[in-house]
Amino acid sequence: MSTPSVTITVDGAPIEVNPERMLLPELLDKGFSIPHFCYQESLGSDGNCRMCMVEIAGKKRPQIACDTPIVTGMEIRTRGESIEKVRRDILELELINHPVDCPICDQAGECSLQDYYMEYGLYQGKVDKKEKHPFDKHIDLGANVMHDQERCVLCQRCVRFCRDVTHTDELCVAGRGDRSYITTVPGEKLHNNYAMNIVDLCPVGALTSKDFRFQQRVWFLATSPSVCHGCAKGCAIDIDHAKSKYHDDTIYRFRPRKNPEINGEFICDAGRLSYKETQTNLLKTCHIRKETLPEAEALDRWRAILTEDEYPIVVLADANLYTEELAALQAFARTLHARLYAPLEAYHDPAFGDDWLKSPQRAANSEGVKRLGIATEMPTINDNTLVINVNHPDGHRTANRIDLLTHQPDEDTGRVPARLTLPIAPWVQSSGHLINEDGIKQYCEQVLRRNDPIPTLIERLKQVTDEEYDKHFDNRETAS
Amino acid sequence: MIEDIRIISRRFDLPQSHTLAVARQHGAYQSVKTLTERTPESIIAAVEASGLRGKGGGGAPTGAKWRLMEGDFDGRPKYVVVNADESEPGTFKDGHILSKDPHLLIEGILLTCYALGAHDAYIYIRGEYYERQQILQHAIDEAYAAGILGQSIMGNDYRVDLTVHRGAGAYICGEKSALLESMEGKRGHPRLKPHQKEPEWYFGNPTLVNNVETIATVPFIVTEGAEAYRQYGTERSPGTLLFALSGHVNRPGVYEAPFGTPLMEYIEHYGGGIRNGGTLKAVIPGGASTSVLTADEAAQARLDYESMQGLGSALGTGGIIVMDESVNMVEALKNLMAFYHDESCGQCTPCREGTGWVDAILARILAREGSRDDLKKLLDISETMNGKTVCVFAPAASSVIDAMVQKFETEFLRYLDTGGAA
Repeated sequence: MSTPSVTITVDGAPIEVNPERMLLPELLDKGFSIPHFCYQESLGSDGNCRMCMVEIAGKKRPQIACDTPIVTGMEIRTRGESIEKVRRDILELELINHPVDCPICDQAGECSLQDYYMEYGLYQGKVDKKEKHPFDKHIDLGANVMHDQERCVLCQRCVRFCRDVTHTDELCVAGRGDRSYITTVPGEKLHNNYAMNIVDLCPVGALTSKDFRFQQRVWFLATSPSVCHGCAKGCAIDIDHAKSKYHDDTIYRFRPRKNPEINGEFICDAGRLSYKETQTNLLKTCHIRKETLPEAEALDRWRAILTEDEYPIVVLADANLYTEELAALQAFARTLHARLYAPLEAYHDPAFGDDWLKSPQRAANSEGVKRLGIATEMPTINDNTLVINVNHPDGHRTANRIDLLTHQPDEDTGRVPARLTLPIAPWVQSSGHLINEDGIKQYCEQVLRRNDPIPTLIERLKQVTDEEYDKHFDNRETAS
Repeated sequence: MIEDIRIISRRFDLPQSHTLAVARQHGAYQSVKTLTERTPESIIAAVEASGLRGKGGGGAPTGAKWRLMEGDFDGRPKYVVVNADESEPGTFKDGHILSKDPHLLIEGILLTCYALGAHDAYIYIRGEYYERQQILQHAIDEAYAAGILGQSIMGNDYRVDLTVHRGAGAYICGEKSALLESMEGKRGHPRLKPHQKEPEWYFGNPTLVNNVETIATVPFIVTEGAEAYRQYGTERSPGTLLFALSGHVNRPGVYEAPFGTPLMEYIEHYGGGIRNGGTLKAVIPGGASTSVLTADEAAQARLDYESMQGLGSALGTGGIIVMDESVNMVEALKNLMAFYHDESCGQCTPCREGTGWVDAILARILAREGSRDDLKKLLDISETMNGKTVCVFAPAASSVIDAMVQKFETEFLRYLDTGGAA
């Protein structure tokens, strides 16, 4: 079915628009720059900020584009002295009670109010109200969301998100007139699992993330498109990272990246904060049992075990690995006459799942595992089997094994130390495809380029499967 | 000479007029006895033919509003909501009906419900009207006990239940969509206007919202006929209105008069002239939200929608505020703007921030720290507030500022130049 289309005139030029939508989203999609606070793609129109005023031929007064239905042949003006004065005057009203403290505001650089201020050149406004209404600062709303009331423009995106999207209704407007402020309803804190999305939704610096605020100026951040590895939902994300002076390339935050087929414009808080796991507690050195040893010696050992041992081999693969890495493991297992498994039971977490973006299947590429035909059950293993454990959460049960790990093993769980442990790069230092539980394939670019790169899994495998060594494996028996 | 016409206020002066016994002795509920012998359409047609206009301030034709309730609406229930949030400064007529003749209102509600096919009605009453709410609730209880309200109203095979809903003290909840939001348990923010003609919606069900006095006028029209109502007032503003007279007059109060009555004759006749034999300076003709009239304008004004519109003001709620020469217009405007500043609901930016800014500028002028620039600024902010918001609160405040500053500019300038010295 094709999208219906009618012709309207905007700033003198005819354009084709979809008459089933309101004027503002159509104009924004067509690239017109129209200031707006309360309208938001996922939340729709609310009509309270009055910023998106346009002139419509035949209408005495300017109209808000977010609540203007499209009529064939309508003539719109988004530019011109009179409409720009209207916008400038309304914007000026927004600033009466605003502290204009951009230099110390964490939103600076990604603030709609700041952008519009610059665009409408309000360098010398007529605001002369000496006393600003006193509002509270750094209020902990719960769920890692901090609120600075005096910067709020009362667009109510946050209130509407908690009302219309999560249906948890923790937020409300209290007070009246210019004393209005956003707060949690009495006796409650933000308690939904998606609360931090309101930080993204907030067009100004009123809601900031307790986790991210004051950590990095946004203009120093580079953005890499990626996919959250928190569960099999595969929410599209943007990863903001920076390699600043005296520091290595570091991730500062995950933000949702729009993907209408998966997560819309949102992600869960658990996924958002999972960036920390990609850069803390990483394994960087090689070990024999608990003793560290240099990379070169470890490499010899890695080759020696594979070529000299007679044990049948089982490879246990993490179901979070990229499809390319899983395929490389398949080839590796074939070369070694080993059997490859990616047991999925270990990733099943019913307590995590919900009916929106959180899947009880926590492995990011469980669907990729299935599509490659990799066995998903846990095989029976004893110490007469050599296990090559590639980061699998249940891969440490037997002593006769080689670990390829991204993170330092947790010694408290009583795990048996491996014969050999080698570090491999975490997913943000590698790249590849994931297939989410709905069969949607997405690409993750390599985000971090560290000063001391850790070999990726594929690089590790190449260390023992180049031509020189392949011949050693010809007489191996396949593990049963 | 003015002839007393009493349509709404005919029982107001009776002792115990608020009781069922007195009201019935004097004709209350006559129209309900044989109600189901009439067709609902005949009642709507009578209201339409009477030319009755909404008496809450807007003056929109009531019949046309009722017609929006016609239709099946997928079998959803229909509701009648009576707006008793009367909070406009200078306006206290609905309070009179509630305390003097609540049974007239209940009778009107019964007729309206039957005409529109509604079985449940609500009266949204201003929270501060505590005593009036007690009187009203007593009248409702009496009506239930007498079988006037309930399963079969006065023996007719028709149910009407009536519930009083108290507001929490917000002027904006007198705006019909904010009122419904409030009744739904939400914050009283006006809703965006629909893009076509449609009724109001209460929990998604078609709903009529009418002012107390509008509904209280219905019994007369149903009993006496549309023509009887039309014999009063003017062609385009037929009938009568309860005008509330306050300010510098000798006898402030609520007095009913036909539309079209000359304003000054009304003030003389009912108000007994200006207090202490003083000189008239200005009149706010229809509640605080209507533009002020100078004494010259007041002399030409008649109490109908068209005359007031011709003078650049509005009839509004008919709350007449009379000001004599003792009034300082800067102080008067500050008084009004303090009200708008306090009562702005805060939903739309121009109103939320504009009312506060205007109030602050006026405070500065009164503190003798103003300058001539401030007048320009007031008019400029007023322009930004006018016609750019969801509801008409800000445009009303805007028209109040414009009229005061423009009509009394010399007084404002003198105040600014002399630092307030007389």
